[in-house]
Amino acid sequence: MAELEIRNLHVRTEEREILRGVDLTVRTGELHALLGPNGSGKSTLANTIMGHPGYEVTEGQILFDGAELRELAPHERARLGLFLAFQYPVAVPGVSVANFLRMAINAQRDEPIKVKDFGRQLDHAVKLLDVDRSFTSRHLNDGFSGGEKKRAEILQMAMLKPQIAVLDETDSGLDIDALRTVAEGVAKLHAEQGIGALIITHYQRILDYVKPQFVHILLDGRIVMRGGPELVARLEREGYDPIREEVGANA
Amino acid sequence: MPESTPELRKAGSAREATLNYALDGAGTPRMPLAHSRGLARELYDRLELPRWRRSGFWTTSLQDLDLDTLEIRTHGPDASAPAFLDDQRSAGVLVQRDASVVHVELDAELAERGVILCSLEDAAHEHTELFERYYLRRLPIDRHKLEAASAAFWTGGAFLYVPPGLQVPAPFQIVYEISQGGSAQYAHTLAIAGPGSDLRLREYGLAADSDGDSLHAGQFELYLEDGARCRLAQVVDWGAGSVHDVSTSIVEVARDAWCHWLPALLGGALVHHHDEIAIAGAGGDMAFRGLFFSERDEHLDVFAVDLHETGPSGGDVHWRGAASGESRASFEGLIKINQGAQQSHTYLQFHSMLLSASAELDAIPSVLVGADDVSASHGGTVGELDEDLIFYMQTRGLTRPQAVRVIVEGFFEPLIVQLDDPPLEQLIRERIGVKLAGAAEEIERYALAR
Ligand SMILES: Nc1ncnc2c1ncn2[C@@H]1O[C@H](COP(=O)(O)OP(=O)(O)O)[C@@H](O)[C@H]1O
Ligand SMILES: [Mg+2]
Repeated sequence: MAELEIRNLHVRTEEREILRGVDLTVRTGELHALLGPNGSGKSTLANTIMGHPGYEVTEGQILFDGAELRELAPHERARLGLFLAFQYPVAVPGVSVANFLRMAINAQRDEPIKVKDFGRQLDHAVKLLDVDRSFTSRHLNDGFSGGEKKRAEILQMAMLKPQIAVLDETDSGLDIDALRTVAEGVAKLHAEQGIGALIITHYQRILDYVKPQFVHILLDGRIVMRGGPELVARLEREGYDPIREEVGANA
Repeated sequence: MPESTPELRKAGSAREATLNYALDGAGTPRMPLAHSRGLARELYDRLELPRWRRSGFWTTSLQDLDLDTLEIRTHGPDASAPAFLDDQRSAGVLVQRDASVVHVELDAELAERGVILCSLEDAAHEHTELFERYYLRRLPIDRHKLEAASAAFWTGGAFLYVPPGLQVPAPFQIVYEISQGGSAQYAHTLAIAGPGSDLRLREYGLAADSDGDSLHAGQFELYLEDGARCRLAQVVDWGAGSVHDVSTSIVEVARDAWCHWLPALLGGALVHHHDEIAIAGAGGDMAFRGLFFSERDEHLDVFAVDLHETGPSGGDVHWRGAASGESRASFEGLIKINQGAQQSHTYLQFHSMLLSASAELDAIPSVLVGADDVSASHGGTVGELDEDLIFYMQTRGLTRPQAVRVIVEGFFEPLIVQLDDPPLEQLIRERIGVKLAGAAEEIERYALAR
């Protein structure tokens, strides 16, 4: 059982303040959705959780099982059991998906993983993501289509088995088939491994496949509304404008 | 054909002199060893220690090197080959330690089929006809004092001859070692691939880390006769001592011959390499690869020439270099297509990666074309470490140094995999890994400063 707790988080870049007091708690086994229009600060939150050096925390806390993450490098956060599926995964030239995964898994262990165990886990993961085994011998994200990149992100998540994962717009840029595969993959990992997930999205499509228990709406760097799945339905009907009006001066 | 001898050529800039020399091409006469040594000796007395200018603000100078203090060290035979070759299959091995060839071995079956691997000294006496036909056929000796010194004073040396039509899958390995500081090594390799032969050749330049200036003045010439194929790799890592390496390597590719050549320049206090591949026969083709990694306060200066004397011919030049510490590295790449070398097609690319704020890395490509039905162009990229990529890998649990290592290895990997030679690939990867480990702290500082 792990818990990621974000308290009154303020984050700025060199230019300006982007997050202006965010509170959010995600535990293993829970599915959260974070919705917000473009530019509201979703990726900023995701990157800050993982310790991206370009974002400065000016106030507030990020706690993992009660311990402050501020002083921890990104790889240390990963080793605690945090994972980020990137909105824009970058290419790792010259390194195959399989080799990269082996490196990443070994980075979290004292002894290198046995070839057989690794192979078995990889077989399982490629089935889950409905990709060919040959996919894993391609260079990671190098020349991948949008859908392949997102599949590769979830494949990494399946192999690294985090406690809590942040999925940053894993649904955007996908056709409906890719979306279904990726979303079902996430749902299965949730069911199999009991991970907690913060699913960041800017549409609502992914939530047809993964049912969040908690829904949060981020506007201009603040969570302005919280609820259950009914909030997703409302957003779908009305868009962000009525909510923006409703919370008015706050946002 | 009028006699053209090196006396007629003036020592000028590296580029001019070479091109003049290359234009003389195959017209250069046979040159008995004693004659060429005498000539080189005169040139040595007359010529200055070299100083090269690169793009106006960059110089490589050996004018502070005191040749008279350097020892010519000789050694007796050594029964065993260097340990790093132990687990490899070789067609033959020749080792020169300082001034002496200390170890020669050649597969007995190959010897029976006419392959020759011996010291160049022995070749001059025992295979005089072959020696005189090829020795200095294309190598210049008159551009600066060290080139002349090498031609005048070389001892030991390596000679390889593969007879026509013979295919040798295992590599020939030639090793030049500098055993301690304060040494001078005048080295000369002459290799000949007979028509239709196929071989792999590796040459290593290695030194023990030790104090005191040393000199490796190397000359390398490889002639691929009609239809011959060769994979050539040169691995140079002089280590942390003060080795000055001024070398010229020339590969001649005759009609329908093919060469894949990769110099890997992995260390040396001051390294100046002139590496030139010349397509001398119609249908000649080549892939000229190269990589370097400079560190600490090393100074590396590469002049790579892709020369087409006749067409149709093909070329593909692809170099990659990284610089860390306070090192300076310069890559000058020249494509030259001679008059009448129609239907020559070549491309030169150079990619660089800067790993520290105080390192300097320059690329100077140029193209000289004397024919109209040709294609010749160049391209390249200048890179720094990609922080987004590092962050991406860190979120997967890799430490920053691990992530940097992945990036730098990935940067060189496109060239390394093309070697098609797993033990050699492994050796180069390992050496790059060691360099990165050594530079880890400064790479960290560089990242934090940005
Ligand atoms: N590294 C950065 N440097 C400068 N501005 C940034 C940076 N990251 C995000 N921003 C700005 O912060 C705002 C929120 O961006 P982001 O977190 O990417 O939003 P979202 O993911 O919700 O679309 C945008 O106005 C964006 O331009
Ligand atoms: Mg975003």
